Amino acid sequence: MPALSPTMTEGNIAAWNVKEGDSFSAGDVLLEIETDKATMDVEAQEDGVMFKILSQGGAKGVQVGTRIAVVAEPSDDLSSLEVPAEEKASQPAGSAPKEGAAASQAGSSGSSQAQSSAVKTSGGGTYEHKLPLLPSTGHLAAQKGLSQEDLSKIKPTGPNGRLLKGDVLAFLGTIDAEVPAAISSRFEKLGHLDLSDVKVAAPKKEEPAKKEAAPAPKAPAIENLEINVPVSLSKVVEVQNKINDTLGVFLPLSTFISRAADVANADLPPASRQPTAEELFDQVLGLDKVKAAKGTRGVYLPQISAITPSSFVSASPSKKSDIIDILTAKPKKRASPPVIPTVPGLSSGANVFSLVVPKAEEERAQVFLERCKAILEEEPGRLVL
Amino acid sequence: MFASRLIPRYTVRPVVARSTLPKVVSAPALSQWSRAYSASSDEKDLVIIGGGVAGYVAAIKAGQEGLNVTCIEKRGVLGGTCLNVGCIPSKSLLNNSHLYHQILHDTKNRGIEVGDVKLNLANLMKAKDSSVNGLTKGIEFLFKKNGVEYIKGEASFVNEHEIKVALNEGGETSVKGKNILIATGSEATPFPGLEIDEKRVITSTGALSLEKIPESMLVIGGGIIGLEMASVWSRLGTKVTVVEFLGQIGGPGMDTEVSKTIQKLLKKQGLEFKLNTKVLSGDASGEKVQLSVDSVKGGKEETLDAETVLVAIGRRPYTAGLGLENIGLETDERGRVIIDSEYRTKHPHIRSVGDVTFGPMLAHKAEEEAVAAIEHIKKGHGHVNYAAIPSVMYTHPEVAWVGQSEQDLKNQNIPYRVGTFPFSANSRAKTNLDTDGLVKMLADPETDRLLGVHIVGPNAGEMIAEGTLALEYGASSEDIARTCHAHPTLAEAFKEAAMATHGKAIHF
Repeated sequence: MPALSPTMTEGNIAAWNVKEGDSFSAGDVLLEIETDKATMDVEAQEDGVMFKILSQGGAKGVQVGTRIAVVAEPSDDLSSLEVPAEEKASQPAGSAPKEGAAASQAGSSGSSQAQSSAVKTSGGGTYEHKLPLLPSTGHLAAQKGLSQEDLSKIKPTGPNGRLLKGDVLAFLGTIDAEVPAAISSRFEKLGHLDLSDVKVAAPKKEEPAKKEAAPAPKAPAIENLEINVPVSLSKVVEVQNKINDTLGVFLPLSTFISRAADVANADLPPASRQPTAEELFDQVLGLDKVKAAKGTRGVYLPQISAITPSSFVSASPSKKSDIIDILTAKPKKRASPPVIPTVPGLSSGANVFSLVVPKAEEERAQVFLERCKAILEEEPGRLVL
Repeated sequence: MFASRLIPRYTVRPVVARSTLPKVVSAPALSQWSRAYSASSDEKDLVIIGGGVAGYVAAIKAGQEGLNVTCIEKRGVLGGTCLNVGCIPSKSLLNNSHLYHQILHDTKNRGIEVGDVKLNLANLMKAKDSSVNGLTKGIEFLFKKNGVEYIKGEASFVNEHEIKVALNEGGETSVKGKNILIATGSEATPFPGLEIDEKRVITSTGALSLEKIPESMLVIGGGIIGLEMASVWSRLGTKVTVVEFLGQIGGPGMDTEVSKTIQKLLKKQGLEFKLNTKVLSGDASGEKVQLSVDSVKGGKEETLDAETVLVAIGRRPYTAGLGLENIGLETDERGRVIIDSEYRTKHPHIRSVGDVTFGPMLAHKAEEEAVAAIEHIKKGHGHVNYAAIPSVMYTHPEVAWVGQSEQDLKNQNIPYRVGTFPFSANSRAKTNLDTDGLVKMLADPETDRLLGVHIVGPNAGEMIAEGTLALEYGASSEDIARTCHAHPTLAEAFKEAAMATHGKAIHF
């Protein structure tokens, strides 16, 4: 299984485009491989014959480096071939030994990938090297009288399967055979950003401290959300008029709204936030149960305006959040405006009911607003009768 | 783009065909314009936040790849820190201040006697500005050419796919993107307790546009930015003292031997250095800005003062106002946007490249990452080789390096072999009367594979490209030595250093 990207660890075989015994030439699509990101064609790097397919089309989760097929040279007699033993598990370089012509599809991904390790009848690897050879390599080969055939036995460790001076020296026994691959794996590692030890910033605690150190303006740490729900008050106005007509009593809109809020506040889902220090303290004292009964009831009062904000029912960041509030750490109470707003732009048609709440209370506030909407739009009469 | 894409197909046709050319051209041209001005409610293939080197390169590349792309930049001009207040303007000042310095102190030895030499600082700045303007306009042109929509304004996340933009010209718009790229860059790290006013207490930004030549300057931080700015003002006549916490200048990445060499050379040019020294506090209330400093080990407290203090202690990722918290994106301790090896944040369609995320804060690194990120989006694979990213300091002589330094190798117990060649033995450097510095190569002692190249010397910044190429190809020092280099060039020193690494240099 060739690695089609540096991060690929396994892939699925979507389909084979060749059957066992089929000949193919360089550039032919041998198979399609699915990864978590894409489906990619694997092309043959050189001419050959498909000898044996080991992982059939549809195979899932095939590890990179696993042998998926064995290909033979175009001239080989398939009837006389045997499937060679699997090459030793991946070398220290960490790159996967690849089988057949399917190798080095995405060659640039690693510096130590074998270019093409067509398995031959002999069982040993042969490698076709990129030409021209590096000056040092070519020179050394000529000096030592290495033939083309000798060179093709040397496993290259350079970037994109390039044969390096060290590879030839290792082959000649001048240096330790393991050295070139070890250097390559070091380069491979250096070639990537080291993201192994990322320490996530502690978001809330650090902010105030940073503020003192650096007076640069920064976004507040406590995220307040503004939740908007469009509510039509037409039904309310209808009821209001009806009452006025029949009973001669004029009930202001604010009465409807405050009563609707009263009803909607009952039994709200708990906020999914971290308990505050006070709450933890209560818990220690065993007061949490006493307060919990009360806690399920909301204290929200919606902010109402006739102007329609750009997006409905979407959470958008609240612009105002006072640094003093953050520093004094009393986020929860500030969630709801203390006094009912004097409904300045209240229209009899569409209005927007909005709430500014800490992010953790998003769901709770949403439920509250939806309830207000349901009550006011569907049966506002029940609020007053 | 059209020229390269379409004209070749028609060149084989007779001249008559020329009349059909405009028609053929107009179709894609129209579609590009309509694409660029399509309603903002459409979802874009890619929205890029930041028009700096990472952002604009990504935008152009995405346009070339046929993506429907929008780039949001709040500065009002493209090119980011690099083009506007970084690499580019500093190179203009470095080059021109070097010329001035050379005329004052050097040309006489070469047989050129110049009379009354005067510096016109306003015009020096004007020359810088015109270089910058030309280049930023050039990017705008490339945006148009590649069908990139350009929005001038400040972006913030509304949700994972929607970005709100407070337009510079007033008003607000919002853009939606299938993919989003965070490329908001970095800003100078302020020094705690010293308020930056960009007049007396300055960052590199202020150092690029001082209105008068200060009589004295203290530079906090002897890294690349600090030393380049120190060089500029020192050449123009300012008495400059550089205070550095570490035991070497040039930052921790610079090879120690190279660092010592350049320190000696800069000292000869008049720069003062205080190494292993920490700045305890600063006070800008008086007539002069005062710094109280102490040796890192303690016990040598003293007070320094100067007309101007340059704060060059590094840069930090810039994400203010971006609303990362609205989409639950975290940063690491140093404020860097957390990414995986394919530049994806925890929302896979939102990626981040350049200074705002991990890796060295270098324009060319950002550029590589930008291209790789677009390739990831478009082709499922992209790659940057972080083992072969060069660094350059544009003092005189320049310092440039790529790969590992000698102290790196030593600390990791990696065996190595060193080869050096001094420019004083190079014929071109000799004729230029510019012979300070050396080329130093580090290679594996067994395989001879190149591990690092460190140059201090004239044109080191250009020469390092050869070392980078060699590293990229896994070359040995012998490969470099066996490659013909023109004579007489400075690059011959590079070749000779390679010869010295695996064998012996000819001319030394």
